[in-house]
Amino acid sequence: MKKAIILLLLLPYLVFSQDFSKEDYIFLKRNEHIKIDVQKGKFNISKSISEQAEYLTSKKLYFANQSMGFDSFTAIEDIDAFTYLPSSDEKIQVDYIETKREFDNGIFYSDQESKNFIFPAVTKGAITNLSYKEIIKDPHFLGLFRFGSYVPTKNAQLSIEFPKNVTIGYIDFNTEEIQVDFKKEDSKHGYTYTWSVKNIDGFQGEEDSEGALHYLPHIIVYIKSYEERGKTYNVLSDVNDLYKWYTSLVKQIDDQSLEKVYVIAEEITESITGEKNKAEAIFNWVQNNITYVAFEDGLGGFIPRSASSVCDKRYGDCKDMANLLYVMLNHVGIEAHRTWIGTRDRTYSYFEVPTPMVDNHMITAAIIDDETIFLDATDSYVPFGMPSAFTQTKEALLGIDTDTFKVIKVPVQNAEKSTSNVTSQFTLEDGTMKVNEKRELTGYEKVEFVSNYIYKKADKTDEEFLNTTLALGNNKTNYSNFTKENLDNKTDALKLEYDLIIDNYAKTIADKVYINLNIDRTLSKSKVDLEKRKYSKKIDYKFNKNFISKFEIPQGYKSNYIPKDLSFEHHNYGFTINYSQEGNTIIQNKSIYIKTLSIQPDEFESWNTFIKSLIKAYKKSIILETI
Amino acid sequence: MIKKALIILLIATGSSFAQQYKTYNWEASPKLHELTSEETKASSIGILKNHIVEYSSSLLLPDLKRYETEHTIVRVNDDKGIARHNTVYIPMYEVTQVIDIKARTINSKGDVVLLNQENIKEVKNVDEYGDFKIFAIEGVEKNSEIEVLYTVEKEFDMYGSEFLQSNYKIKEAKFTFITGTLNSNIKAYRTSEKFESKTIDGIEAMTIVLNDIPAMIDEEYATPDANKIAVVYQCLPRGQDITQEMFWGNVSNNIGRKFFPEKASILIDTDLTNIFEGKEGLSVFEKAARIDNFIKSNFNVVKNNNEELTDLNYILKNRSASDFGILKVYANFLKSQNIEFEIVVSASRFEYKFDPDFFNPNMLRAFLIYLPTEKKYIAADRIEYRVGEAPANILGNYGLFIKSDLDYYFTKITQEDPDYSKISRNLDISFDEAIESAIIKEYQEYSGHWSATNRGVLSLSNDEGILQFKDYLTGTGIEDKIEVAYEAENTDINQTEYNLPFIVKSTISSESLIEDAGDSYLFQVGKIIGTQSELYQETERVNPIEMTYPNQYDYTITITIPDGYTADGLSSLNIDKSYKSKSTGEKLCKFESNYIQEGNTITITIQEFYKTHEYDLFRYDEFREVINAASDFNKAYILLKATE
Repeated sequence: MKKAIILLLLLPYLVFSQDFSKEDYIFLKRNEHIKIDVQKGKFNISKSISEQAEYLTSKKLYFANQSMGFDSFTAIEDIDAFTYLPSSDEKIQVDYIETKREFDNGIFYSDQESKNFIFPAVTKGAITNLSYKEIIKDPHFLGLFRFGSYVPTKNAQLSIEFPKNVTIGYIDFNTEEIQVDFKKEDSKHGYTYTWSVKNIDGFQGEEDSEGALHYLPHIIVYIKSYEERGKTYNVLSDVNDLYKWYTSLVKQIDDQSLEKVYVIAEEITESITGEKNKAEAIFNWVQNNITYVAFEDGLGGFIPRSASSVCDKRYGDCKDMANLLYVMLNHVGIEAHRTWIGTRDRTYSYFEVPTPMVDNHMITAAIIDDETIFLDATDSYVPFGMPSAFTQTKEALLGIDTDTFKVIKVPVQNAEKSTSNVTSQFTLEDGTMKVNEKRELTGYEKVEFVSNYIYKKADKTDEEFLNTTLALGNNKTNYSNFTKENLDNKTDALKLEYDLIIDNYAKTIADKVYINLNIDRTLSKSKVDLEKRKYSKKIDYKFNKNFISKFEIPQGYKSNYIPKDLSFEHHNYGFTINYSQEGNTIIQNKSIYIKTLSIQPDEFESWNTFIKSLIKAYKKSIILETI
Repeated sequence: MIKKALIILLIATGSSFAQQYKTYNWEASPKLHELTSEETKASSIGILKNHIVEYSSSLLLPDLKRYETEHTIVRVNDDKGIARHNTVYIPMYEVTQVIDIKARTINSKGDVVLLNQENIKEVKNVDEYGDFKIFAIEGVEKNSEIEVLYTVEKEFDMYGSEFLQSNYKIKEAKFTFITGTLNSNIKAYRTSEKFESKTIDGIEAMTIVLNDIPAMIDEEYATPDANKIAVVYQCLPRGQDITQEMFWGNVSNNIGRKFFPEKASILIDTDLTNIFEGKEGLSVFEKAARIDNFIKSNFNVVKNNNEELTDLNYILKNRSASDFGILKVYANFLKSQNIEFEIVVSASRFEYKFDPDFFNPNMLRAFLIYLPTEKKYIAADRIEYRVGEAPANILGNYGLFIKSDLDYYFTKITQEDPDYSKISRNLDISFDEAIESAIIKEYQEYSGHWSATNRGVLSLSNDEGILQFKDYLTGTGIEDKIEVAYEAENTDINQTEYNLPFIVKSTISSESLIEDAGDSYLFQVGKIIGTQSELYQETERVNPIEMTYPNQYDYTITITIPDGYTADGLSSLNIDKSYKSKSTGEKLCKFESNYIQEGNTITITIQEFYKTHEYDLFRYDEFREVINAASDFNKAYILLKATE
C-alpha cells in the first residue's frame, strides 16, 4: 500500500522533469544578466555570467577545460571559479588562468583572445562553479544567449536590466518545442526582463546538418534606442539604424591613391565592350589576383581596407575584395554597391534582427540592365553571374548611398545551372571492364570539383585524386589519360576525360556475364536515419546529373537481359533510368535532379524513399550470354 | 617542460669573433630563377632554403650567444602554391631579439614588392607553441617568387635541429653551423650527403648542401613527418667536452631523481583506501590496473604554462598535472604498492625517430611507465589506454629506460604479446523470402589496440560521434544498412582484466548487398567485411612501410542459401597472398580466404594478419598485394540462381 502512494506522488514530477541520469555531464544552471546604463550618450554595459555544472560520471573529465573568448570589443573581468566536491564538502579554487591566442585556418590574424583554465579535482559527483563579468564596449554587440547548449541544462536564464530611458528589442528562435518563461519587472530604477527555461536537452550537430543557429533555441536582445532630455537617439531600432552605423564605418575607408586602382580597372576593360563583359573581366581579375587572407582587428574587422592597398598587397578578406570590386566597377561606369550579407549558417532577416548578428560576410552587387548581379570574389571559382553557393536564399543589404539601402534576397540558382553531363563508353575485354568517360560540369558542380582539385588533392596524383573523389566502379578502378579543359576559364563548362580499367567488376559465371552500368553511385549514401536524426539536412546547391552510358556487346555474346525502366518523381528530387538496345550497343540513360536546398524532418521519409529506389535502380545489372 | 628538467649549469669563458649574419644578405636586384617545365607544373617549388646557426661569445659579453638565420626563396605557380606560402609564421620560442625580418615578392614580370615592416603582427602565447611574428606576403600572384630572410638571436641552448625537407621539392638546401673553436657535434639524417668543414671569415664552420630534395609526400602506412631529411646539432660551452653518454646520464639523473620517491606521499592514503579496500591478494597487474583506472578517472593532464603542474602536492590537491607531473602521481601510487617500475622517455614515431646515439632534447616527447616484472606499459597521459602494450604511436621507436637506481638503458619499444590486437568475427547470413534483403547476424571480439580505441571513442565522444562509431562497428560501406539489433559488452574504459575483449553482437540488414540480375541475384558477400583500403599509388614509394600496429583478423562467414536457389561463382572467394620473411620463410603478413559448401550452407574462413608493423620498403609491391587482397575480397560475390 505504501508503495502505491509513493508512486502516485512521484508521477506528476516525473512527467515534467527530464531524465538526465544517462548523461556524463550537465549544466545545473547557465545564467546571464545584462546590465545597461547610459549617461550622456555613453553606454555602460556588462554581462554577469554564472554557470554551474555537474559531473554525473568520471568519463568526460575534459569538460574541466574552460575557455572564455574576448576581443577588442569586450573584456573579461572578475573571474571566480571553483570546484565543489559534495562527498567531502570541499571547495577547491581555480588559481591559474592563462590568456591565449589560437591560429585559425580561416582568419590569419585576429584580435580574438581567450582566458583559459581548468577546473581542479573534477571527478564523478564534482560540481564546478564559474562566474565572471564581460564588459561590452560597443552597444551594437549585445550578442545572443543560448537556452540550449551541447549538453543538457537544468536552468538557463537570461535577464536584462536597463533604465527607463532605454528601449530594447528581443527575438527568440527555435523555441517552439520548449517552454520559455518570460517576466517583466518594473522598479524605480528601470526594467528587468527575464527569460528562463528548465530542463532543456543538449544539442549537437549532425552530419550535413545546417549551422547550429538553425536548430539551437536562442534569443537575441539589442538596444533599440535611448532618450535623453526629451530627445530619442536610435541605436539599432531597425535596419535603417544598422545601415546608418554601417555607413559611418564605410566612411572611414581610406580612399587615398585610388589612381592606380583606376589604371588597373581601365587596363582590364579597355578592349572590352558592354557593361556585362566589363564587369565579368573585373570580377575575374579580382578572383584570380587577390588571395583570401583575413585580418580581424577591432573595427578593422568591419571597415574594408583601401582598394589601393589591397591591389598592392594582392590579398584581402571578403570586405576588402568587395570594396575593391565596388571601386573598380564604379570607375568604369558600372553601378555597383557594397553589400552586407549573412551566409547560410545565419538564419536571420534584417527586418527581424537589425543587428550585426545578421551578417558575417560582404560582397558586391552590380546593377546591369536592371539586373542585380551578386559578386563574391572570395569564391575563386564561381562563374560571373552566379552568387557564391553559400549566400543563396540570403538577404543582401545593398548600400546605395549614405542614406539609402535596399534589401534583396539572393536568388536560389536553379538546377539547370549546375549540371554534370556524363557520357561513358563501356567495353569488355577479356573479362575486364574498360570505360572511356567524358564529364562536362557547369555552375556549382564545376566550382566544387575545381576547389577540391586545387585544395584537397594534397600529394595525390591526378589519377589517385579521381579514384577517391569520383569513386567510379570500385576502389580498384584505374584511371589513365586524364585531360581537363577550362579549369582556369570561369565561363565555360569544365571538361574532363579519362579512361578507366575496372578490375573485379564484370562478373563472369558459366556462360553469362553480369554487368552493372552504374559505376557512378551519386547519392547512394545519403539516406537519413529516421529514428535518430533530429534536424534538417542541408544541401549546398540544386543540381542535375545526366548520364549516357553505352555498352558495346563483345563478339561472341548477345544480350540476355536488360533491366526495366525505373524512376522516382518528386517536385524536389528524383531520377529516371531507362535502357535500350541499338544493334550491338546497350544504352542506359539516367538523370538525377535535386531541386531543394534543404530536407526538413517531415520530408525525411519521402527522401529515404527516393534514395532507396535509387539504390534499387543502381543494383540492376545487364546480362550477356555466349552465342 | 622537459627542457627545464634537463638544464645543466654551465660556465662559459669568452672569445671574440665576427658574426656571419651581419654580412649575409639577399641579392640586391633579384631576378626570377630558371625552372624546368616539370618544376613549373608543381603548385610550388623551393629554390633555396639556407639555414645558418651561429654560436658566438665575446670578451666583453662572456655569455654564449646563438643566432639563427633562415633564408628561403619559393616559386608559387598556382592558387594552392600561393595559399601554401603567402603567410609566414616565425616562432619566437627562445628568441631574445629579432635582428631582422624581411620579405619580398618578385612577380612574373620581375617587379619587386617589399614587405611593409608595419604589417608584421605579434601573436602572444599561441596554444602550447609560444609567441610568433606573423605576416602575409604582399604582392603575390601566380608565378611569383617569394623570398623571406630573417635573423633572430636566441637564448643559449646547446641543442637544436632543423628539417631540410618539406612537402614541396627544394632545389637547393644548405645548412651552415658556425661554432668556431667551441666543441660541437652535428649529424644529418636520411641523406648520403656529408658535412664539409670550412672557414667563414676565418671562423671554423660545417656545412652541408643538398640538391633537388624531393617533396616528402603523405603516404598510407607511413610516418612522413618523421622521415624528412633533418640535421641535429650540439654546441658545447667553451672548454667543455660532453659525450653523448654524459648527456644521457645527466637526463637519467635529472628525471630519475624526480620519479623514484623513497616513500609514497601520505597525501595519497585516502585514495589508496578507496582503490584497495577489501581487495586482498591482488596480483601486480591487478594493482597497477586499479591504480591506472583510479588516476585516469580522477586526474586531468593539462597543457598550459602553469609550473605548479609538476609539483606533487599541488597536483594531488588540484588533481591536475602536466604530462610530466602525472608521472609523479603514478610513481607514488606504484611505490605505495612496492611495484617495480621504470620511466621511459621516447617520442611518437610519427614525429621523431628516437636516436640513442645523438642526444637531442627535442625528441624527448613522450613518457611511459614500464613494469619490468609484467613486461607491460602504462601510458600516463593517454586516457584510452590501460596497462598493456605501449601506445601504437610509440611502438617501434627507441626509448630511454630509467631504472630506480637511476641507471639507464636503451631498447626498441616492441610489442610483447604478438597476438595483442585481434578481431574475430562470426557472421551468419540469411536472406528474406523475396531475396530483397540480406540479414547478417554478427558476433565480434576486438582485443588490444582495437579494444582500447573502441572503449575510448564510446566513452569520450558525443552522441553524434557514438552514432558514427556504431556504424563502423557494424560494418562500413554498406549504403543502406539497417541496424536491427546492437549490443556491446565490456565497453567500460576502466578494466582490471588484461586484454579483455570488447564484444559486439549485432544484426543488420541491407538490400544493396543484393544486385538483381534477371531471375538471379548477385550477393555482394565481400562488402560485409567493410570497406578495405586499396593502395592505389603508382608513383614510386617514398616512405618505409609502417603500419599502426601488428594485427590479425579471423572471419567465419556462414551463408544459408535460400530454398529454390543454388550458389555459383564461388571461385572468387579463394584468395591467398602473403609476404614471407626472406630468412625464415615465415609468413609476416597474409590474406587468405577459403570456402566450403555443405548442402545449402557455404562457410567462408578468412585469416588476415600483420605480424610486425614494419615492412621492407623494397618489398612494397609484395606488401601491397596483401593489403589489396583484402580489397579484392571486398569485391567478391556469389550468384544465387533459381533452380530450374
